[in-house]
Amino acid sequence: MPPTVRPKLLVIAGVLVTPLVTAATALAGNGGFAPVAPESPNAHAIKQSYLFISLFAFAIFLLVEGLLIAFVIRYRRKKRPREADGAQIHGASKLELAWTAGPVLILAVIATFVFVKLPTIQDVPASAATSQNLVVDVIGTQFTWQFRYPNGVVTIDRMRAPEGRTVELHITSPDWDVIHSWWIPALGGKMDAIPGKLNKTWFKATRVGVFQGQCAELCGLYHAKMLAAVEVMPAAEFDSWYEERRAQQEAGTSPLGEELWDGTCAKCHGLEGEGGYGPRIAGTTLIKNTQSIEALLRKGGILMPPVGRDWTTDEMNALTDYLKEHVGNQG
Amino acid sequence: MATRVEQPHVPAWQRGKVASWLVTVDHKRIGILYIGTAGLFFAISGFLALLIRTQLTNPDNTIITGNSYNEVVTMHGTGMVFFVMVPVLAGLGNFMVPLQIGAADMAFPRLNALSYWFYACAGLVFCTSFLASGGASNTGWTAYPPLSLEAVGNGQDLWILSIHILTLSSALSAINFIVTIHNMRARGMSWMRVPLFVWSVEVYAWLLLLVLPVLSAGLTMLLLERQFPETFHFFRPEGTDQGGSPVLFQHVFWFFGHPEVYIMILPVFGIISEVLPVFARKPIFGYKAVAFSTVAIGFFSMLVWAHHMFAVGMPTFLNIWFMLASMVIAVPTGMKIFNWLATLWRGNISLDTPMLFCLGFLSVFTIGGLSGIYLAAFPVDWQVTDTYFVVAHFHYVLFGGSMLGLLGGLYYWWPKMFGRLLSERLGRWSFFFIFIGFNVTFFPQHLLGLLGMPRRIYTYRHDGLWEAYNITSSVGSYIMGVGFLLFLLAIVKSVNGRRAGNDPWQGDTLEWYTTSPPPPHNFDDVPYVTSARPLYDLRRRLREAESS
Repeated sequence: MPPTVRPKLLVIAGVLVTPLVTAATALAGNGGFAPVAPESPNAHAIKQSYLFISLFAFAIFLLVEGLLIAFVIRYRRKKRPREADGAQIHGASKLELAWTAGPVLILAVIATFVFVKLPTIQDVPASAATSQNLVVDVIGTQFTWQFRYPNGVVTIDRMRAPEGRTVELHITSPDWDVIHSWWIPALGGKMDAIPGKLNKTWFKATRVGVFQGQCAELCGLYHAKMLAAVEVMPAAEFDSWYEERRAQQEAGTSPLGEELWDGTCAKCHGLEGEGGYGPRIAGTTLIKNTQSIEALLRKGGILMPPVGRDWTTDEMNALTDYLKEHVGNQG
Repeated sequence: MATRVEQPHVPAWQRGKVASWLVTVDHKRIGILYIGTAGLFFAISGFLALLIRTQLTNPDNTIITGNSYNEVVTMHGTGMVFFVMVPVLAGLGNFMVPLQIGAADMAFPRLNALSYWFYACAGLVFCTSFLASGGASNTGWTAYPPLSLEAVGNGQDLWILSIHILTLSSALSAINFIVTIHNMRARGMSWMRVPLFVWSVEVYAWLLLLVLPVLSAGLTMLLLERQFPETFHFFRPEGTDQGGSPVLFQHVFWFFGHPEVYIMILPVFGIISEVLPVFARKPIFGYKAVAFSTVAIGFFSMLVWAHHMFAVGMPTFLNIWFMLASMVIAVPTGMKIFNWLATLWRGNISLDTPMLFCLGFLSVFTIGGLSGIYLAAFPVDWQVTDTYFVVAHFHYVLFGGSMLGLLGGLYYWWPKMFGRLLSERLGRWSFFFIFIGFNVTFFPQHLLGLLGMPRRIYTYRHDGLWEAYNITSSVGSYIMGVGFLLFLLAIVKSVNGRRAGNDPWQGDTLEWYTTSPPPPHNFDDVPYVTSARPLYDLRRRLREAESS
């Protein structure tokens, strides 16, 4: 074997080892080597399952790559003639049985661990007398998330939730829309929002903060902009926000109109209504005509989906008011 | 046992340099046509991949945006799966299967030509769909309804049409492979003496035959519902009484889609099982285990489809079934990896380019297999599905696996196909660029997925790590691009390359018994096959005859 091959082998070894070294160092700070820091029991149990699988995956990785590199170095040709035979070994049943049974065993252990964790991940904790579960309807539409609370409060793209209280999510998408996927990495796994189907998942946030996520199923033009966030507030603060928001919504002073504008209209028509994928709407007469704008929102246009078909009266009023006040008057 | 071969009468107009290729029914020429056409589609789909990576170098690029990005992603995926991997393997199989089993041609040469021309037509439709009103299809290679029902213009319809034609092509060639392998093996070649590449093509063909009709049916339903939305309600849930289910399409698609993954990788497993023994100068370790694990993988691949759909909200017992079934596939796959490793043990290993690519395959396919365990465990899948983790996983399997192994196979068989060796020097450089570039491109994508980056987005969050991993990934893709240019250069230069002779690698299987390139009828005579390594036996008998 010409001596030039040795450095090349080292290159292969280097390429394989570098990720491992970075993995070890980054795991402490978790630079993406494990799911993001979980802030809910289900996300926590998922991460534990991930790490448990990683133990075995990492060991097998080391074993296979180690043997591969060792065999290539140890049994390379060197000064032997090219056509010289290696050891003519046709197999070894016991050995082959071992590396069939070994993986079966490992997979059984992994499956068992996952099944033990499954209830923590999947089952919604029952409501307690002191802490009732909060049920929020999550409706995905192109390209926005609507959150509907039991008392009629609606928010867009940003969900508010109380800390330490179980939030049940009832996830769907309207019949006329497409499939989306709800995902806030810190608060658990994905659940698809599918037209004509109701899916359920949940979270119970362990700390206050804003947790980012976004739609995870290709849903069309602005899939990349279908962002979501969950703002977890201290329980008492949430309760007061919840009541205040309802009062505002009834009085027509809530920021719902602006949220609907940003989440639903502005993605295609521009933040100022100046036009983008959709036509310019700022300053048009249509915008000021509440009845025709409502008809358009509920029925849709040629390319425009019927974004407002399932909106509540609160939502419709909030948006038409906002349009009149902020978009209709712009030149 | 020399057989006289009657030369058929060839009309004058068919003798031209171009015309002879257009009318050819020779499996070798058809194989080359397949590989060449697939190469063209690889260039197109690879260019689209570089566009994707260029767009994602930073969060706010506007090189391609919104709609075009979705078109590029869709056509890259569709192109690589349907127009590169499946046909290129059909091409290699076409060239090699008759030679490896000692046959003069495929069982149905004209059907074989028809398969190729269907593929070429499908490719033409695929290319013209870029010019359709509303642009090319932009709903992902999975074309999930209702999104694909709503897609504006005719791009989606042409996409469906091209795949319809392609499924015809693949189904016909699958029948041809099966009949050929069952009926045309050389004397003495019992099933336990069939080359492992041929075994893998056998399973590849059966899978194509079993699952392609399901895809055709699903796409026909999609086409009908797109064209006649008032009459057909398969997938759209609108209307309470006659509503369809979008999830139904996913079941249909993945019943085809998961075996499709194995369709794209089993023949490459076959290549690895041919190349490793030749360059380690050993028999394959555990021939039967390797052959039967191929069959086992093929069988189980049809029972695991819904692990692509864990987030649609299936009942728990189904989730559990699909998780366990998916894990079961890891067992025969693991067997193969260990058998290949054991094939290297105590060998006499030459690190020529085909071997480098195949060793590269072993090292990265292992990573792709291991990341699959995370995806099989459905609660973990809920966290990583539809993110860049999945993108990284299937590129480790289909690029690091299928593509590296395929390149190894091309380097190995090129001298047989064209009579000239590809440059070793360029081959090594090309290997190192592709191997390193591949890992730099796709390893960070695991991390992006775990950090929360979904797939199929043209713009992303401003976040230090997201930006760092994305730019790393893009740099890797350009390194890979250079590697493929070097590979192309090696092919171009091989026109004047070193002559190969019949058997440049001292191979073990029958294709090395004939000349390079083989004559139209392949063999003047075929030796009686006494084991899975007929040429090894022959060389030994010759040595014994010389010494005695």
